[in-house]
Amino acid sequence: MRRFVWLWLAISSLVGAQCALSETRPQYGGTLHVSLHAAPGSLDPASATDSFELRNLTSLLFETMVETDDAGRLRPGLSSSWQSGSNQRRWQFRLRRGIKFHDGTLLTAEGAAAALRAANPAWRVLSEADQVIIELDAPNATFPAELALRRHAIVKRNSDGSLAGTGPFHISDWQPGKKLSLAAEESYWRGRPFVDAIEIELGKNTHDQQLAFELGRAQLIDVPAEQVHRDAMAGYHAISSQPIELLALVFTREAQSPEEKALREALALSIERSSIRNVLLQGTGQPTASILPNWMNGYGFVFPTDANLSAARHAREQVRATPAWTISYDAGDGLSRLIAERVTLNARDAELNLQPTSNSSADVRLARIPLTSDARSALVEVARAADLPMPKIASDSADDLYTAESAMLSSRRLIPLFHLPVNYACAATVKACQVSSSGAWNLQNVWLGPPKP
Amino acid sequence: MSFRRKLLLLFALTVAVSVAAVAWLVSAMTRRAFQLTNDQRTAALVTQFQRQFAQQGDEIARRVELIAGSEPISRMAAAVERSPGDLGGYFDMTRSLAEGYRLDFLEFVDSKGTIISSAQWPAKFGYPESAFANFSAWANQPAFLKHEELQDSAALGLFAVRTARVGEHPLYVIGGRRLDKSFLSALDLPADIRALLYQNRGDHFSPEWVIDPTANSTIVRLPEKLAPLIDAVRQENREMSVVVHWTGNKADDELFHAFPLRGADKDRAVLAILLVANSRRGWVELERRIRDSAMLVGGGGILLAVILGSWAAARVTRPVEQLAMAAQDVAGGNWNARVEVSGHDEVAQLADSFNRMTAELLTQKERLVQAERVAAWRELARRLAHELKNPLFPLQLTVENLLRARQSGPQQFEEIFNESSTTLLAEISNLKTIVSRFSEFSKMPQPQMESVQINDLVRGVAQLFQAQFEAPGRPAIQCKLELANGIEPIAADPQLLHRALSNLVLNAMDAMPQGGALTLRTLRRYDKVAIEIADTGSGLTREECERIFTPYYTSKQHGTGLGLAIVQSVVSDHGGTISVSSEPGRGTTFVIELLMGKEKLQTIAAKDSPAKVSASGGLG
Amino acid sequence: MRSAVYNSAIPKVINPAAGMASGVRLLTFFLFVLALPLCVHAADWNAPEQQLAHKIVAITGPGAIAVTIDNRSTLGQREVEIVSNGLRAALEATGIRSATPEQAVATVAISLSENPRAYVWVAEIHQGSAAPVVVMISAVRPEGTTLAHDSVPLMLRKTAVWSQQDRILDVLALDDAPTPAHIAVLSAENISLYRMQNAKWTLEESLAIVHARPWPRDLRGRLFSAKDHLLDAYLPGMICHATASAPLALNCRESDDPWPLAPISLTSSAPPSFGTSSAAQSAVMSTSAFFASSRNFFTGALAPSVGKFSTVAKFFSSAAISREKYVLWLFASVDGQVHLVDGVTDQAARLNWGSDIASVKTGCGAGWQVLATSSDTQNGDQVRAFEFPDRDPVPVSAAMDFPGEITALWTESKGDTAIAVVQNRESGEYEAVRLAVACNQ
Repeated sequence: MRRFVWLWLAISSLVGAQCALSETRPQYGGTLHVSLHAAPGSLDPASATDSFELRNLTSLLFETMVETDDAGRLRPGLSSSWQSGSNQRRWQFRLRRGIKFHDGTLLTAEGAAAALRAANPAWRVLSEADQVIIELDAPNATFPAELALRRHAIVKRNSDGSLAGTGPFHISDWQPGKKLSLAAEESYWRGRPFVDAIEIELGKNTHDQQLAFELGRAQLIDVPAEQVHRDAMAGYHAISSQPIELLALVFTREAQSPEEKALREALALSIERSSIRNVLLQGTGQPTASILPNWMNGYGFVFPTDANLSAARHAREQVRATPAWTISYDAGDGLSRLIAERVTLNARDAELNLQPTSNSSADVRLARIPLTSDARSALVEVARAADLPMPKIASDSADDLYTAESAMLSSRRLIPLFHLPVNYACAATVKACQVSSSGAWNLQNVWLGPPKP
Repeated sequence: MSFRRKLLLLFALTVAVSVAAVAWLVSAMTRRAFQLTNDQRTAALVTQFQRQFAQQGDEIARRVELIAGSEPISRMAAAVERSPGDLGGYFDMTRSLAEGYRLDFLEFVDSKGTIISSAQWPAKFGYPESAFANFSAWANQPAFLKHEELQDSAALGLFAVRTARVGEHPLYVIGGRRLDKSFLSALDLPADIRALLYQNRGDHFSPEWVIDPTANSTIVRLPEKLAPLIDAVRQENREMSVVVHWTGNKADDELFHAFPLRGADKDRAVLAILLVANSRRGWVELERRIRDSAMLVGGGGILLAVILGSWAAARVTRPVEQLAMAAQDVAGGNWNARVEVSGHDEVAQLADSFNRMTAELLTQKERLVQAERVAAWRELARRLAHELKNPLFPLQLTVENLLRARQSGPQQFEEIFNESSTTLLAEISNLKTIVSRFSEFSKMPQPQMESVQINDLVRGVAQLFQAQFEAPGRPAIQCKLELANGIEPIAADPQLLHRALSNLVLNAMDAMPQGGALTLRTLRRYDKVAIEIADTGSGLTREECERIFTPYYTSKQHGTGLGLAIVQSVVSDHGGTISVSSEPGRGTTFVIELLMGKEKLQTIAAKDSPAKVSASGGLG
Repeated sequence: MRSAVYNSAIPKVINPAAGMASGVRLLTFFLFVLALPLCVHAADWNAPEQQLAHKIVAITGPGAIAVTIDNRSTLGQREVEIVSNGLRAALEATGIRSATPEQAVATVAISLSENPRAYVWVAEIHQGSAAPVVVMISAVRPEGTTLAHDSVPLMLRKTAVWSQQDRILDVLALDDAPTPAHIAVLSAENISLYRMQNAKWTLEESLAIVHARPWPRDLRGRLFSAKDHLLDAYLPGMICHATASAPLALNCRESDDPWPLAPISLTSSAPPSFGTSSAAQSAVMSTSAFFASSRNFFTGALAPSVGKFSTVAKFFSSAAISREKYVLWLFASVDGQVHLVDGVTDQAARLNWGSDIASVKTGCGAGWQVLATSSDTQNGDQVRAFEFPDRDPVPVSAAMDFPGEITALWTESKGDTAIAVVQNRESGEYEAVRLAVACNQ
């Protein structure tokens, strides 16, 4: 009987829960080892560069007054509620009570106001009791969404240059560009993170990351878009956000003449996004001709993404002289280089003269622009990144977004190519390892299961 | 130049020429031999290089073959067979394989010629590989050269094509290595051989297409210097060799062998020119060593030859020198000079002969002196008789006339007597003159040397005769003085010299009965002073010239023939010489050359000074 | 667990129908699930249809137009049909006649799309060779809707009870009905009381939980019905009592009192269906355990002790199986093992179970089953029922899949069912379901 039971147990285990693991309830403790490709030199969220890596790193340390969820809806962050005057120029944010910075000091309205003032000298920030009041030069209906941007996180900048935040972790060691050690904040107002510490190795190349991952030295690595499917095939547990990063060609200056616009049009029409996606991106990412991804705006499909070589040549033939454009890419980004080269090849098919260069002073640059889950903020951020005029968006209805986006694209300063997801690979021992649709990794929820038997 | 020096020079010259000739010959032959060896070595190295090149090609073909046969490629070929449209997953496969197999170029191309994956231009997937019209024809061929178009340039590579076939559709693997610095550096070449490559692009030579793996060496090698060779190879499309001089130092020269490397396409265009440079440093240094050795040996030989030659010359020439000195003595009048005779060789015989010759000459001279003396006496007697006979004949006639007159009347007698006594006195006086002249000649005094200004002397003589030149009743003689400036005083006897010059002037006046021009000229000739007395008279025949200084020879009707003898005697006593040049009808020029006699002048000055002091003392 | 899914079906309206244990009931439930959204939305599409039709006709003017409608959203096929029909009707009402592309003066390609906050209907209007004109409208989509996954009715059955955006710690049925009509939902910040009225849950009261200290992450809590008042809520370091009479109030105090490991009904007088009862049973069943105030596990200290064991290894959850002479306790310990404690021995076994277990007492099988979670990395968690003929577990049901991670699994007060809370991976919402073992199959 006993033998039969065991046999049955064995068979049913095989049939039923082959991948069954031993844990489902989060466990506290342990150190999470992370290896990242990015090598930020500063953790200040107000620093100029914006990337998902930096956003995710700083999100472990700092918090914003307002937060956006994956659907782009605003959620209370450090402020529990907010309201504006009738003119939408004066905004009041009520601060949560009892929140402390990592150095033990209480987050006061004045502290938050000082942090916002330091990061945004143009704003007039006041504090009144538990309220932070921000007065703007012009009405801004979407101001709370802007305040949810990572660069407006509340940071206490100490005189010795160190930074203190209110996030779930505090810094225990920081070697800029190399290593970041974080320790769980015991008194974090949303509950102590499960892991005791996070050790983040920075500036690692993909090969080193994969090696560290295979050897168990890293339990979480970021995965470049083109590696996602391969890693999945290799048995990695890859997690991805929605396509949230815009890969686009950005012209460094405004088109000077209708002819130049026609040439840019020809370039846009010549690019064969599908083969770039299939081959260079290995099937990851969404080809796009719109700034916002289709999942975010619902109308992205309206902008055609297919290459149209005959139309490109036709547009090209409208112009007698062809300028020799240079296209720049991030020299440290192999994918960007390949895409730039492919775009160059495509452009040559349309008899356009494009020359890739890693030199930053080029006519066109292949840019990666991180978006936010809020469509309006995302458009504003893209305009800022591509040096376009600030879009005027009446509301967050699809119609208004479409109008604003069409206006931005009509200037031909920007040729959207792809929306890429943010991807990570988690070891099997890392539980609750998820990345939100907007690319956030929420490591405060991660916990470490026992190693494989 | 002395005989010894001549002999030494001859020795040295002979030795030097011989040594130089031998050195040159040895050097030339050695050089030729080395050149030959060097050429053979270079040829061997070039062959070795070509073998290396071919081996590289084989190696590339082997690697491509290995890739085509590898497991991943088989899987890929199967995937191509199964789903030809879905090959995106393989696009970067070449990169790692190319790294693994150490290839610079690697492409996978499907049966339609579409690039699936390209290591050298990863973005080119999906585009057709246009370099090959027919892939299957290239598969399994040995490695070939091809220009590969890259993202922003083109590169030359050594390629091989192989096929991976699983089903019906083949998959082509095109692999290659870039012919670049690293390729050339990887070739196993001897130390002084280097390989360069010129990528044949464009119509003209351009230094940027020269691939020189040793370009950063200490020697500055301007690629432009290769231009003539490369252009020549491009034009003539064949192998060529040339020595390229990189710097002023010949050791930096290199012998370049240029080979056109042709593509494997139909027209077999020259894609590149392979330049194998063989350094001439070793050869030049060897040559230098040989030359230095030759010069050292030659120089040493010549020096030794000079030393030995001088010793030998001294040995050989000593008796000759003695002979020469003896001969000089003899020439100087020392007839008693003798040479020491040692040995029995020709020189000894010569010395002996010399001794005998001088002895014989001495004897002959004495005999001659004796004979001359007799002849002189005879001549003197004849002259004397002649001179005396001339006045004696009128004396005889006068006396006979007197004798006849005594027979006539007293008055007549008286008349005749007076007339005859006058004639007798005159003739007697004439006889006395003749006698005194002979007496005078015999009594020629020894010159008393003192410092004499020749120009002053000549001027005095001219002045003395000035009245006679212009005397009425005879045609005038124009006297010209051409006196050189700055003639220092000479040691001479002014009285004797004045007499000699006066004689010559008188002779000249005699020679110009019809008048003419007399030129008195002084000249400085080295350590001598020359006095020329030139007339425009009748001149002398050659015979007269030869005999003119012989005593008692005269061309004049009433001359004693002693005038010029006295002149010669005076000149001779002064250690000078007198010569005559004349042409009949054109005049005669006498030239007296006198030694400056500085030593004598010093002696004179030394003698004069105390005398003057004593004289002045005496007066005082 | 599995990767995030793009453009996944957006969950719909909650299904409050629950508690049906029979096949007929289940069928009814499915029909209800399908029909409900249609009923709810049928009227809602009218406005956006009109809106889009007007926008189109403003461009094209009335006339013959070829219209194509393409669905790019998560709307179901029937909904799409309804919307398509509605749109065509609305267009016709504005004077547009449907025609073939050859006859039409313009072609309109309508795409039913969506974004996270709204349905976006886009019309691309092509007129001649001119560049297409794009018009669109957005229709706000309802928030916080979810769709329960199908269950596999072998031996385990699940009945959706409640779902919400905030984390559900526990759900307590305040009535004894098979389909609860009065429930209390424990969240981090409040206890909400809902009553079913007209097939809709209505919020009766929401009692805020006032706490000074921050809650630990992976917050857990329990609701127990009480004899003399409405309920007790146990939270880490805190106990709250809700008064029974109106006005309802919640009194919370900081306390590290142990949490009862079994519901009151099991510890007090056994229900009649158990047949037999014994003093030993009820004594053991009343065992409580101390919960770590800043963590998510029980410290292992038991009160009173189980036999000679007053402490066991730290554990996440426990289950009890009553035997004739003793009660076999199972503790899912923090180290991943399951400790079988019978009062005399403490036997650890690695059963590859999850950390949440609960026992249910049923009238079938051996009478007692242990529900144990397990995790599938690719999909959601699973729950399976086990029995312990001896000391080895024997699975007695197929694994039931859940659309996400199970964050709570507690035995309900009657002891024959359990409440499981799962966080839906797609919607992110927390769904509480009642798990019952169907033993009549």
